[in-house]
Amino acid sequence: MRKTLVVLSVVMLLVSFNFGATKITVWAMGEEAKSLDQLAELFMEEYPEYEVDIQAIPWANAYDKILTGIAGRQVPDIAQMGTTWMAPFGSMGAFEDLAPYIENSEVVKPENFFQGAWETGIVDGKQFGIPWYVDTRAMYYRTDLLAQVGYDHAPQNWDELYDAVKKLVENGSRYGITLYQPQDNYQVLLPFVWQNGGDILDSAGNVIVDQPEFVEAFGYYTRFFTEGLTPIAGGGNLFQDFASGDTPIFFSGPWMVSMIRAQIPQIDGNWDVALMPENKSRTSFMGGSDLVIFRDSKNKEAAWKFIEFLSRPDIQVKWYQIVNALPSVPKAWEDPLLQSDPMIATFGEQLNDAKAPINIPEFQEISVSIDSRVQEAIYGRKTPEQAAKDLKKDIEKILK
Amino acid sequence: MKTPLRAIIGFIGPSIILLLIFMLIPIVVSLVISFTDFDVYAIYDWGRASFIGFENYVNLMQDPLFWRALLNTLYALVVAMPLTVVLALSFATLINREATYFKNFFKVSFYLPSITNTVAIAIVWAWMLNPDYGLINWFLGLFGIQGPNWLGDPIWAMPSVIMLVVWKAVGYNIILFTAGLQNIPDYLYEAAELDGASRFQQFLHVTIPSLRPTIFFVTVMTVIGYLQLFEEPYMLTAGGPLNSTLSIVLYLYRQGFRFFKLGYASSIAFMLFLMIFALTYMQMSARRSEV
Repeated sequence: MRKTLVVLSVVMLLVSFNFGATKITVWAMGEEAKSLDQLAELFMEEYPEYEVDIQAIPWANAYDKILTGIAGRQVPDIAQMGTTWMAPFGSMGAFEDLAPYIENSEVVKPENFFQGAWETGIVDGKQFGIPWYVDTRAMYYRTDLLAQVGYDHAPQNWDELYDAVKKLVENGSRYGITLYQPQDNYQVLLPFVWQNGGDILDSAGNVIVDQPEFVEAFGYYTRFFTEGLTPIAGGGNLFQDFASGDTPIFFSGPWMVSMIRAQIPQIDGNWDVALMPENKSRTSFMGGSDLVIFRDSKNKEAAWKFIEFLSRPDIQVKWYQIVNALPSVPKAWEDPLLQSDPMIATFGEQLNDAKAPINIPEFQEISVSIDSRVQEAIYGRKTPEQAAKDLKKDIEKILK
Repeated sequence: MKTPLRAIIGFIGPSIILLLIFMLIPIVVSLVISFTDFDVYAIYDWGRASFIGFENYVNLMQDPLFWRALLNTLYALVVAMPLTVVLALSFATLINREATYFKNFFKVSFYLPSITNTVAIAIVWAWMLNPDYGLINWFLGLFGIQGPNWLGDPIWAMPSVIMLVVWKAVGYNIILFTAGLQNIPDYLYEAAELDGASRFQQFLHVTIPSLRPTIFFVTVMTVIGYLQLFEEPYMLTAGGPLNSTLSIVLYLYRQGFRFFKLGYASSIAFMLFLMIFALTYMQMSARRSEV
């Protein structure tokens, strides 16, 4: 009875505090949505004049929900936006250009964020998104199996990676590495291209996928498939394959660290995470989520306050504590909490050299043609040179 | 007695209005959109779209991927349709026999795939079809056969999708056929038996002719269903490898909801509509001339 009374009075107190507060609605997805309330409460303690209403959307429906929201102009003030979604939704013109807000901000400044992450928020030259949390890919590998083939360290560069994979297969692993993704194959291919100094477009907007930097990386990647060193489509269960040693190397994001620890504890101590293999650089793929303000929002000032709050290094560390999402602010990485886990710290190091693909609305279409040209090469229908040439024609047609 | 107009409106008015809002208007809108260059930029601001006449349709005719998708869909249709009808009819006949054991068990197991979520099914099938650990290749291995990389091989990917589609469609059609079979009066069989017709002859000369309306309904529905093939290839292969399982609706989805080229996607939708309409019309007139 007394408990209910206490709860009731607390609720009453909160209600009276929030009376007349400006309400900010936020759309968030997945685990983030479930836990964002904890940060919202901290925010409301600091800024009692605002009230934050978090609306959770399942990831599976999020894309449609945002699309119909924009088309019907039924949008919240703030939304969490996957970095690959920035371009299509951003180019619809539904997001607020944040440049004037950033100019007057103490907290949100380009130099306070990882460069690769900051760039994910730019569409058509406008800053529509502020990086909230990031993820990047690094190399997961089995230390015990690599030791058997003479590697007491992770493969450091392209030559070592190829050599190690080949030796692992000779040593009895079914495949040496997993590279294939049925969809969005570009996420695996592009880091190799970047590592070799290539890209899809140059700074002047010319398509440069037929340049030697791209073709060479494409050829390097293709060789793993044509020589049977990596499964072509229909790979099995990543965890089981990693545990059994069938695929002792793969590239993935930070979320796999805790998942591997939980799902296949039998290989504890026999695996580790390393930076991407080096060629000209160690560039990796940059993902994560940005925060955007909608142009139709009526509380833009309040919404910006909340975004500033979420970008503060101390709040970013708190957020890592709650959902294990990696901070987009390098300052937050100085916290001992992130430095104490060496595997997570590796991702922090990798973030200094991570890149997102070009943010243009046509990228979805480009990514599909990359996928199909990549398939032509890895199935041996075309040489990497030929596939790259065709890819150039595809992309030029898309961008026309 | 004449029914007063007010009563007519009162009874069918609400459903007409719903039909207008949720069927007719969207269809008309998408027809209009198919003559525009409605794209990403027009979703927020309709003013950015403009009329371009038949340009989408002209482009579609010159789009090799559309033709590829069309061929793939027709391939699926030509293989899957007869398979579905034959399998459903044979299973229905077996279930309908008095002498069959465990009837209810079979009824349930045939129908279960029809009501199970395709996403869940696709995950299980993807595992069964896995070249290294899958059940199917393990089974083939028992006989010393090296199974293919089902979903990873451009030649086998479409047959794999067809297997799943047929397996899923058979249950529903068994129900239709069973209903049809139970409507055939027993005296027809008795008369045929007195005339000395064998089991097979009875099936050929009594069952099939009596089932004609059901067979017609089933073929029309399966043709329409297979032309709209989407979920299975989307879940299993995403159209790959090498576009070997790219269906028309999958291509439409890609253009419309991934690239936001809604004008172009609408023109694909209308081509599909015309095809379904033409095929159904052909089936209808074939039946009419038969009767």
